[in-house]
Amino acid sequence: MASSRDDFIIAIRSAFLKKETQQKFSLLTLIILSIVIIILSNLNLKIIKDTRAVINEIVYRSSFIVSIPENAIINSYYKITDYLNFYNKYKINKEELSNLKSQVVLNEIIISENKELKNLIEDFTFTSSKVLAKVIVDHNSPFLKTIIINKGSADGLKLGTNIYDKNYLVGRVIELNFKSSRVLLLSDLNSSVPISITPGNIQAIVIGDGKNSGEIKYIKDNLIENIEDQSIGYTSGTGDLFKSGIPVGRLNTGNDKYYLDFYSDFTQLKYVFAEIEKKEIDTDILALESSDENNLDQTTEKIQLKLLNDQIKILDETNKKFIEENQNLILKFKDLDLENDNLKNIIEEQISEINQNKIDQKELEFLRLNLLYSSKCSKSTFKKGYKVGTPEYKKCILRKGNF
Amino acid sequence: MISFKKKNFLYKVYTWLPVLILYISVLNEFDFNYIDIEYFSFNFPFILVFFFALKEYSRFDFFLVFIAGLINDTVIGLPLGISSFSYILVCIFASYLRNITIRPHLIKDWFYFLFVISLINSINYTVLFFFFSFELDIMFYVINNFFTFLFYIPVTIFFDNYLKAIND
Repeated sequence: MASSRDDFIIAIRSAFLKKETQQKFSLLTLIILSIVIIILSNLNLKIIKDTRAVINEIVYRSSFIVSIPENAIINSYYKITDYLNFYNKYKINKEELSNLKSQVVLNEIIISENKELKNLIEDFTFTSSKVLAKVIVDHNSPFLKTIIINKGSADGLKLGTNIYDKNYLVGRVIELNFKSSRVLLLSDLNSSVPISITPGNIQAIVIGDGKNSGEIKYIKDNLIENIEDQSIGYTSGTGDLFKSGIPVGRLNTGNDKYYLDFYSDFTQLKYVFAEIEKKEIDTDILALESSDENNLDQTTEKIQLKLLNDQIKILDETNKKFIEENQNLILKFKDLDLENDNLKNIIEEQISEINQNKIDQKELEFLRLNLLYSSKCSKSTFKKGYKVGTPEYKKCILRKGNF
Repeated sequence: MISFKKKNFLYKVYTWLPVLILYISVLNEFDFNYIDIEYFSFNFPFILVFFFALKEYSRFDFFLVFIAGLINDTVIGLPLGISSFSYILVCIFASYLRNITIRPHLIKDWFYFLFVISLINSINYTVLFFFFSFELDIMFYVINNFFTFLFYIPVTIFFDNYLKAIND
């Protein structure tokens, strides 16, 4: 028993301490050195950071060179598959292009409206310039989904700088060197992005699943029912990690879980854009930015003026129509007034004529009755009566005729 | 079998081949990830380090293994020193096995290798998860462990022939 324990100790001691042929360090020295390096690399000392940055620069460049043959093989494989699928892709792209063209006009209006609204809510307006960066190391590791790009602090990149593939978000800078930096892809397990899901404007957080998509988490329970398949996810800007309004991916539902299929294929990244943001108050480029801002304001004002001019034109035209109509009505009114006067005159004439007729009729009736009853009402020598032509004579005649 | 004239330049390159392959594999992260098989990956440096430490190959300097670990950490983006620590642990276990073994047996070595890589991957996962707050999928580690174990035999056969060629 004791001898087997001794053997074990001897074997262990030999494994740790014995420097074998041509070995410069014992394994014990190296294991202690590893532990020291692990501890030191976690201390936020400037000298360690600088040393690490130098090591990173050298290793990344070496890794890029060593990866050239493998990358050439992979690229050839992708090229062959691309050629094989060329015609089908052409047909799909053609259809997609016609759809996109129709949406471009709409997007321009939305962008202008968005800028105007941001100005209204006094949001920080950033002027951004995108820097093209080459992906120098992309090993598609299953453990950590990261890429190395050939732009660093010397090109204006900072920790957290947003990285794009065309206009789609792919990740952010997590490690910065002088002329290179490491980008944490959205598909990494350590990546979390606050997003808005549209339609519905539902707020959520998408966390990388370690493959090539993201799982949607942290949605309010009562909003889950509102989520539709193939909805669009874009950054909400919450937490100030990512700029707002950047397209991220399309929603995919399955097995009671919600996934986001990223627009960009992270396995095919060759060139990416790093967005360098500067606030408007930056004194160095204030003049340039103010001209940009003026241009923006002028554009917005132009749109507003155009709208107002259009409104004025419409009002002028309406007004003209009203005036013309009014003049017509006035003329009509005058005509009617004249007509009315004429009619009044006619009526008056007719009334007077009628009255005359009435008088004439009374006279005629009197004359007719006079012929009949004049002998009974007139005064003579032997008979008592009235003198002809007097009102009493007239009354008598009319009385006799019961008129 | 290929035969070399000793002290020839090509022969020298050939003797340094394991170290060259180790450095290429850590710089290139040589694990066929691009063939897009879900979860598929294997740790080639583990096999290489274990095999040559077990065979006590003179050109396979532990310090070079240590440096290869540092490069691997830089390429993958792990905290500096983690891979060096793992590789040196592999060397220690291999040296221990060599010291206690009188008659080497491939299958015994193979299962011992499984034990070693399982232990080291567990340590790696624990350190990264608890001390560095890395979010890691344990499935990747389990499957990586499994494929590394599977690939040990073909790699061993290949390098056995390589060593025979040098001794010739």
